[in-house]
Amino acid sequence: MPARTPYTEVRFSGLLERPLILRGELEYLGPGRLGKRVDTPYREQTRVENGAASVQRGDRPARTFSLGQAPELEGFLRGFAALLGGDAATLAADFTLSASGDAHAWQLVLKPRDERLARRVGEIRVDGSERTPLCFVTREGDGDVAVLLVDRLAAAKLPARPSQPQLEAICRDGATP
Amino acid sequence: MRARVALLAAWLAALAVLAAFALHSLRIGTDLRSFMPPPRTPDQKLLMEQIGEGPGTRLLLLSIDGPPEARLAGLSRGLVAKLRADARFEQAINGAFDASALDEKLLPYRWLLSPTLDAHALDADYLADQLGQRVEDLASPAATLLKPLLPRDPTLEVLALAQRWSPPKAPVVRDGVWFSSDGAALLLAQTRGAGFDPAAQGAAIDALDAAFRALPDAGAARLTISGPGWFTVLVNERTRGEADRIGLVSTLGFVLLLLLAYRSLPSLLLAGLPVLSGGLAGIAALALLFGSAHGITLAFGFTLLGVAQEYPIRLLSHRRAGEDALSSVRALWPLLATAIVSAAIAYLAFFASGVTGLQQLAVFTIAGLLAAGLSTRYLLPRVLPARFRDVADHAWLARAVHALDVLPRPRWLPWLLALLGLAVLWRAPGPMWENDLAALTPVPQELLLRDAKLRGELGAPDVRYLLVLHAADAEGVLAASESIEPRLDALVRQHVLDAAELPSRYLPSIATQRARQAKLPDRATLEQALAQAQAGADLPFRTGLFAPFVDDVETARTLEPLTPAAFAASPLGTRLATMLVAREDGWLGLATLSGVHDAAALAAFAESTHGAVRLLDLKAASESLVVAYRERILRALGLALVLLALTVVVALRSTRRAWHVLAPMSLATLLVIVVERASGLSLSLFHLVAVTLAAGLGLHYALFFERPVADPAEARRTLHATLVCVASALLVFGLQALSSLPVLRAIGLTVALGVGFHFCLSILMARARR
Repeated sequence: MPARTPYTEVRFSGLLERPLILRGELEYLGPGRLGKRVDTPYREQTRVENGAASVQRGDRPARTFSLGQAPELEGFLRGFAALLGGDAATLAADFTLSASGDAHAWQLVLKPRDERLARRVGEIRVDGSERTPLCFVTREGDGDVAVLLVDRLAAAKLPARPSQPQLEAICRDGATP
Repeated sequence: MRARVALLAAWLAALAVLAAFALHSLRIGTDLRSFMPPPRTPDQKLLMEQIGEGPGTRLLLLSIDGPPEARLAGLSRGLVAKLRADARFEQAINGAFDASALDEKLLPYRWLLSPTLDAHALDADYLADQLGQRVEDLASPAATLLKPLLPRDPTLEVLALAQRWSPPKAPVVRDGVWFSSDGAALLLAQTRGAGFDPAAQGAAIDALDAAFRALPDAGAARLTISGPGWFTVLVNERTRGEADRIGLVSTLGFVLLLLLAYRSLPSLLLAGLPVLSGGLAGIAALALLFGSAHGITLAFGFTLLGVAQEYPIRLLSHRRAGEDALSSVRALWPLLATAIVSAAIAYLAFFASGVTGLQQLAVFTIAGLLAAGLSTRYLLPRVLPARFRDVADHAWLARAVHALDVLPRPRWLPWLLALLGLAVLWRAPGPMWENDLAALTPVPQELLLRDAKLRGELGAPDVRYLLVLHAADAEGVLAASESIEPRLDALVRQHVLDAAELPSRYLPSIATQRARQAKLPDRATLEQALAQAQAGADLPFRTGLFAPFVDDVETARTLEPLTPAAFAASPLGTRLATMLVAREDGWLGLATLSGVHDAAALAAFAESTHGAVRLLDLKAASESLVVAYRERILRALGLALVLLALTVVVALRSTRRAWHVLAPMSLATLLVIVVERASGLSLSLFHLVAVTLAAGLGLHYALFFERPVADPAEARRTLHATLVCVASALLVFGLQALSSLPVLRAIGLTVALGVGFHFCLSILMARARR
């Protein structure tokens, strides 16, 4: 996976009536470090490094908060960065892994080893093809689901109010060219 | 022989009983404040409290370094958890967000506590802006943290309050805890015990160390402690350690000296008993009359009791061949009694000073001197071994007496010395008095620098300055605190100080709470504003999601405003309690300041409030207490001198003879002060006590030299006794003068110099001519 990739993120939340759709660019900055830019529907730049996240929106000064306030969150982001960076060792340290499919269309399911993290994040499912992950589906403890489409899937056409099955289909099909 | 052993046994038994009683019933205070004069004005009272118990002085600054950051953060969290469970600590913080700071019951109060409503109304515009930001939050890494809060608190008032209540200039938070710029985890711990109480602080620091060592992987990590309490313990240990080391060496020297002088081990051991009796009698008297005494009082008392070591030395030196010790002491007693009684009467002046510490000193010293004197007179001669060597037989002593006899003694010399001394004193460099007690027990420079660095990183309050707000009631204090908040913020922007922590930061006045309450919309209005915001900004939130929020606002509309008493139950209440103090004449608010750069500008600001706000400079105020204390000591000493002179005149029944005794003593005392001042030393309380001890010794030299003796052998014995006394005093105090600690040096140098001057001037001015 390249150091940068466009993404489309769809969040389903119990707090929301309809899913939230974000588009922008993800950047892998090295082990444990991640950059995320939101272009629409608003502009935001987030950087995660050294256990802290800094969020900058529009012209407002950046807000920094510590991930240590929820230490489990750091494990999640570490795993995420490891996935993007192809760092298998870090990944296996934080998650139990189960793989299926073949090299052309594979699926990886990650379950957190840390109990506290498991309460927040049920599992992360990754669909990919060859050496490229294309789709991340994160099921959070409270039932919220975030679907992240990257690389060539970032440009996939979505309905105005996509449903979870629709997105899961896009992930599956995206991996089988 | 058998009677001797029986008496000795009885004496020792009595001492043992006395020691048991003294140890059992005397409490030794270590808090500096019990040594100070009693506070008279409300201001001084406040000062006395703040010196030891102000929030700033009870704060310990901690840093942990060594292992990588992630482990440091774990250690920091572990240590804080342990300290919070320890009764010796009032609070421990490390920067971690404490969601329990505002407990569930107080949650609706957030609208009254947070300043949000001062600038915004809970209308559609404001809600639309806030909810828009929450949508963005939901897609950010903060989402998991914020999601549980949203239905009840979509404007994140709880976070706004948490931010308002975290220290004004907090260090960076990484991994959930504070870190310094060079990567050490930082913490603050507030002890319950007073800052300048070495015993309380010692216990707290030991507990802190133990808690840290017991953490699972403390292994390679290093815990650094700083702050007033730690300095108190450190200085105390260093002073005691050095005093013990010097004491050991000088005791050995003293023993050797006496062995050399009297060639008898039993005599030597027995000669220690009168001073021991005196010390124990003094402690017992304190226990009976006061029940407790300050450690410094005892230290001063034992210093002054050093005079009593002369009594047995006089007895040993004055024993005559062919005579038993009892008849020797009878011949010696009138003079010895004069010395003891005059000293005891002089110390009565301390008793009249009205300062508890000085009264205790008087009781201890008078009881000690009398017990030592009486045991030298009535007990020691009866237990001394019968065999001894008459020191008058020493040939060198005869030559020494002869040398002294032929020494020219010009009458003008003392006058010249006095005049020169006064002239030097008048022109001496530096201030006459040292008012800063801390200067005598200084903290090493590198530790002070480290403290300043930690204090800066942590934004911890300054120990020296405090803003004091005064009003008729707590509400008045909080209102005043609110009214100066903008002005203090302006001073912070002008870099007069880094930050100020006002009581109103934790609890606004009732008036302010009511004003905010009045701005809360009713249920229908709020629901309409929410719907309007949702529709206007096309927000995706589920309908009815914010019902808990609407309920909370409705509850907040009818709440009784929070008072300090109601707030006290919450974790932040203890913090507020140290900042709001009830007094007989109203309430005081204490605002701690950090990073004071321009004290003059702060003072000018306080001045401009016409007494509503005062700047309390703890250092200046405590120095003024020291000045008051010293003035009382000086007055007591002046009175003591008069009493002493009268006693000596009455005892000698001659003003001319009394003059011969008192003149050298006075001149020697003057010269000690002259030499110290000429070399740039400023005098402290410790110097004054040392000068007093030296004068007590000098009185002995002069009294014994002045005594007309027909027998040349007796003159030799007098010289022998005086030489042994002088040599031992020079040895003990000369060693102390070499100490690296100014407090020990002050006492040692002053007494050693004094002994030298007193000895020389007694020979010059008091010694009877033959």
